[in-house]
Amino acid sequence: MIVRLLVAIYVLLALGFDAEPAAAAESPALRAARVTGSSGAMADPDAAYWKSARAIKIATQPQIVVAPHAPAPAVAELSVKAAHNGQWITFLVEWADPTKSDRIVVDRFGDQVAVELPVKYEKDSPPSVMMGTPDGRVTIMQWRAAFQRDLDEGEPGIKDLYPFTHVDVYPDEVLRASDARAYMGSVGVDNPISHPKRAPVLDQMAEGWGTLTVKPEQNASGKGVWRNGRWRVVITRPLATDNNEYDPKLAPGDQTVAAFAVWDGGNAEVGGRKAWSEWVTLTIAK
Amino acid sequence: MAKVYNWQIGREMEYPYDGIRPKRQFAMVMDLNKCIACQTCTVACKTTWTPGRGQEYMFWNNVETKPYGYYPLGWDVKILDKLGVQEIDAAVYPGKTLFDAAPDGETVLGYLPDDLDYAHPNIGEDDSAGVMGQGAFLDVPHMNWMYYMPRICNHCTYPACLAACPRQSIYKRPEDGIVLIDQARCRGYRECVRGCPYKKTYFNALNRTSEKCIGCYPAVENGRQTQCTVTCIGKIRLQGFITTPDKAREDSPLDYLVHIAKIAKPLYPQFGLEPNVYYIPPVHVPIAFLKQMFGRGVAEAIAAYRKAADDKKLLGALLLFGASPEIIHHYRVEGDVTIGYDETKREIVRVPLKEPVYVRNTYDQRHQTYRTNVT
Repeated sequence: MIVRLLVAIYVLLALGFDAEPAAAAESPALRAARVTGSSGAMADPDAAYWKSARAIKIATQPQIVVAPHAPAPAVAELSVKAAHNGQWITFLVEWADPTKSDRIVVDRFGDQVAVELPVKYEKDSPPSVMMGTPDGRVTIMQWRAAFQRDLDEGEPGIKDLYPFTHVDVYPDEVLRASDARAYMGSVGVDNPISHPKRAPVLDQMAEGWGTLTVKPEQNASGKGVWRNGRWRVVITRPLATDNNEYDPKLAPGDQTVAAFAVWDGGNAEVGGRKAWSEWVTLTIAK
Repeated sequence: MAKVYNWQIGREMEYPYDGIRPKRQFAMVMDLNKCIACQTCTVACKTTWTPGRGQEYMFWNNVETKPYGYYPLGWDVKILDKLGVQEIDAAVYPGKTLFDAAPDGETVLGYLPDDLDYAHPNIGEDDSAGVMGQGAFLDVPHMNWMYYMPRICNHCTYPACLAACPRQSIYKRPEDGIVLIDQARCRGYRECVRGCPYKKTYFNALNRTSEKCIGCYPAVENGRQTQCTVTCIGKIRLQGFITTPDKAREDSPLDYLVHIAKIAKPLYPQFGLEPNVYYIPPVHVPIAFLKQMFGRGVAEAIAAYRKAADDKKLLGALLLFGASPEIIHHYRVEGDVTIGYDETKREIVRVPLKEPVYVRNTYDQRHQTYRTNVT
């Protein structure tokens, strides 16, 4: 923990950032205005209320603290808006990306963006922005372009990825479902990253590097649209849930922090190979 | 980075985790002089473990023709090129391992193959090292060389896939040293695919996670050798457990072949992973090529192999290949027979050192027909 803090301070110094707690030092504060809208509207990047919401520019930097590094990520700036309807908080994240990457094979990666919130927030002492710590857990909602395509157009089969593949028979075509599971790898053990559930957003928690885990209960939602070389992605979650261990408990009038990370699939960014932001102050309007 | 001891390079080296060895280590010896690339092992593995969706181009076991066969394309020449020329002749390896050579911000020197590199699993099949001139005819020794090399995961003592995974989703089992990817923790970052120099972790594009050879652990847990071993019609493989050279047991066939007779060599030991599949080098291939691939001592290994007929202990170990589906933990030569025993020292197999010869009469009186003797 102390070592990590020292590393973080060292890196911030090395990058020319102020070693003070970084919340809002670089970026202006983010304000989630109260809007009226159903939970569905909170997951809509084209909802009318976004027109009047104020966007802030958030700088993102290369992840070069823990291996593997991304010394030259493609995205350096995000445009972010926030809103809430008393029950759901929602973020609209936009960035320029000339190539839409939503098909995944071994050498192709998908575009992604994530919003991080502290599970518990105390003013002036937020948890480590770098994936949290055991006593400072964070919740991370990650939208994936590949999931978005799965939901919009259906999940790819082998013929979609490799049109000339020939397959005679799969185990799941001749075995009972329970017997075929053994042949299904991560799908057979219900790994949540293999297929999207209802939404293209994973609701996750972390308490340190390498600990990111998809929560058993998925509360986040969202939608991404790529138009004219630009991603426009909404990520939304309930302000509060019954689970205080993994989920933030927020209410209108609260102040907390939020951080962002972005991956350009076309630049082979994945996992820790990403661009990340410092904590930004987030105010939830009364 | 911790300091760990790698006996294959005769020195300590940097590794991200402490050097705790498993209780015993899964290992295999393959005799490259006997492989005919029939791919029975490949098919046995495929039908047992990878017939599923997203595994269409995935071969945990493959057999490639050397020097020009690769799966995936160019896997070894690409990483050798990245590592650069290294001195490999000394007992203590003075060169760089892939961990020593890792660039800033990386755990291991590696690269991610292109998708198309997997498209031709048997590219280079039967291509020999040189051009055969017009009018060439078969002669012995052959005017050009090539050989077949079956490959599985090496279940390395210091796996690069495990080192490269930022989520610790890859683990090495303490009970047998088999290296596995936790299918529930993997997030498909492909750091293991990038990091493994042998390219024996594979990405499943439909599941979006990585998968690899599981050392047939359900068989191994029950005292049986792997599918690729027991189905090998050429009896080129022996699978069991190996110790370190300082603890080598003369009555363990794998220890005997690797540590005592020293006729079986690891694949690219200079990479620093301490791989646990050992190859008996092909006797007809130039030593310079073999040295790059299997490290120092290949000439001595070939010399010892050529004299195996005069060395009962060595012959006894070699004749246990393909002799039993069970894992042979102990063996001894008794007169002209080699005997294999299981873990509890129960006898499981007996093989004569010399195959008995039966000669039939050319004319079969009973059926009133002529017979031709074949061997």
